[in-house]
Amino acid sequence: MASLTIKNAVKRYGHVEVLKGVSIDLRDGEFLVLLGASGCGKSTLLNMIAGLEDLTEGEIMIGDRVVNDVHPKDRDIAMVFQSYALYPTMTVGQNIAFGLEMRGVPKAERALRVEQVAKTLRMDHLLDRKPAQLSGGQRQRVAMGRALVRDPEVFLFDEPLSNLDAKLRLEMRTEIKRLHKRLNATMVYVTHDQIEALTLADRIAILKDGEVQQLASPAEIYEHPANMFVAGLVGSPPMNFLDITVEAGEAGPAAWVTLRADGADKPVLLDLSAHTARLDGYVGRKVVMGLRPEMISQGTTDAGQCVQCEIDVTEATGADTLCVLNWNNQEVLARGTSGYTKILEGTMDFTIETERACLFDPESGLRLD
Amino acid sequence: MSDAARYSAPRPWSALIMRLLLWFVLIVFAIWFLLPAYVVVGTSLKDLDEIRGGSLLALPHELNFSAWRHAWSEACIGVECTGLKPYFWNSVSMALPGVVVSTLLGALTGYALTKWKFKGANLVFALILFGCFVPFQVVILPMAQTLGKLGITNTVYGLILVHSVYGLAFTTLFFRNYYVTIPDELVRAATIDGAGFFTIFRRIILPLSPPIIVVSVIWQFTQIWNDFLFGASFTTGGAQPITVAMNNLVNTTTGVKQYNVDMAAALITAAPTLLVYIFAGRYFVRGLTAGSVKG
Ligand SMILES: Nc1ncnc2c1ncn2[C@@H]1O[C@H](COP(=O)(O)OP(=O)(O)OP(=O)(O)O)[C@@H](O)[C@H]1O
Ligand SMILES: [Mg+2]
Repeated sequence: MASLTIKNAVKRYGHVEVLKGVSIDLRDGEFLVLLGASGCGKSTLLNMIAGLEDLTEGEIMIGDRVVNDVHPKDRDIAMVFQSYALYPTMTVGQNIAFGLEMRGVPKAERALRVEQVAKTLRMDHLLDRKPAQLSGGQRQRVAMGRALVRDPEVFLFDEPLSNLDAKLRLEMRTEIKRLHKRLNATMVYVTHDQIEALTLADRIAILKDGEVQQLASPAEIYEHPANMFVAGLVGSPPMNFLDITVEAGEAGPAAWVTLRADGADKPVLLDLSAHTARLDGYVGRKVVMGLRPEMISQGTTDAGQCVQCEIDVTEATGADTLCVLNWNNQEVLARGTSGYTKILEGTMDFTIETERACLFDPESGLRLD
Repeated sequence: MSDAARYSAPRPWSALIMRLLLWFVLIVFAIWFLLPAYVVVGTSLKDLDEIRGGSLLALPHELNFSAWRHAWSEACIGVECTGLKPYFWNSVSMALPGVVVSTLLGALTGYALTKWKFKGANLVFALILFGCFVPFQVVILPMAQTLGKLGITNTVYGLILVHSVYGLAFTTLFFRNYYVTIPDELVRAATIDGAGFFTIFRRIILPLSPPIIVVSVIWQFTQIWNDFLFGASFTTGGAQPITVAMNNLVNTTTGVKQYNVDMAAALITAAPTLLVYIFAGRYFVRGLTAGSVKG
């Protein structure tokens, strides 16, 4: 096991700058998820850690060894690819053993270790098959086995679950989590699925256009997103963004929001006094207020400010029923009650937890602190 | 297919007529193409009297292989009356190494050009591809000089070299186009597993290649075996390949023209490539259309 340090990594293809100075520090045994939209440079970064791509600038260290010029095979890493990249003409057993064979591990020991790994991943009955004779989930397991058997310092995963169906993805996700706990290995995991990121990671690095937007724990990223991009990317259903103008209220800052209730538009003054320090100097200026759907819940509680508004449409998802509301002529998603226990329609009471709202500068998109 | 079904359903008569017409045309063309082959085979089985007396298209009275025996081991080529036998083995010892070398090198260059992209790889490929379009007549003089410098003029080795070099353009094209369909991630995975350039080639890429190897082997074998130009230009006498020898056999006439021997000689010369097509032809088509590797 080892720590992993990426210092100001830059990657250019000709004039195109794909990574613009990425710095990430990983403790020994930490699980880092690289999250970002397609084309933001996640795979490029992972390939640079693996040694499959050269760095244009910067430095990568595994443990306390600079590995910039170290061949991939000597970096003591293992990688699981999105397409699994199983060797089609070899059996599962040969696939798993190939890395050991290349490192000159004696045959008897190879067989022993392959068997162990196959047991761990519950695929000992598949060892004699060819990859083409396996299901997607089984192929995925073989790819994992190939990485596991080497017992490397650092595991790298490039969207390993994206080719699986929803149910299998859930299963494998748990399996990877369990594996990480058992091995306590350093892992870097690339995905564009934010749920995967939130459930697996010790820390998440959010990438956009080759730049790290935020590097923090899932809780921190969810509760205190660094900017509007992060706030919009993480969380499902996504955060609502409302343009508001900060006013000086009696108890502190406040903002008018036009709600639709009983067929008419009704202005309501939202109390933002919990954000007094944050909004210092913003009175009279526009800001963006971010409210996650669960911060607007149906019913009257003392968790926040109660308002009445009309439900436009409802979307039942089973566990939750989402309500589409109309604020400032903009669609706003709110969380209704759980399950199908209550019919949601017409004008109803909603509690807004303004305290938990995130406020962003509309120009820079940065969260106000 | 669907068009035919749609139009023929309500009008079975016209469909039948169309079908008959189609068969008729196909049969006419089949005869057109097969007739010369029939004449060649038929004539080779007749003796000279029968050829002189009967019609060109008449069936031979009996299966008489004496013309074949004569062409194989007795016919005079120039002043040597050895038949085609030694030249046949010349061709074999030229074609087999030529095929193996050009196929192996083509596989290696195709692999390097697709999986180890170096700066200018595409330019190199374009230049190699250019070799497919160079007419062989253009290179005869410089090649003759090169062979002279190397001291292998008028030897089988010289021909092996020439065919390996000029086959490389085609074999590289075959293998390169096949290997681009193999995912790069396979090579990346193997690199991380600790395999190098040649190990990856031998253990991962080559085992995936049989379909395209068949294509390359058939193509190269046909090209090298059937070649006349290089054989006639760079060899004389006993070192000649069978194509050149056959030509000389036909042209060496002392007295009566022995049509049956000429025909048998032509068939002996063509037999290896015919056999290759008959036994491996369907792999040829399969290999040309083979797609990427899944899993
Ligand atoms: N060899 C290359 N030459 C030029 N540009 C490249 C090259 N490889 C990648 N890129 C560019 O770098 C950017 C990042 O690619 P990368 O594969 O890292 O994206 P990604 O975040 O992994 O996306 P995805 O989620 O789709 O896998 C892309 O815009 C891509 O077009
Ligand atoms: Mg990627």
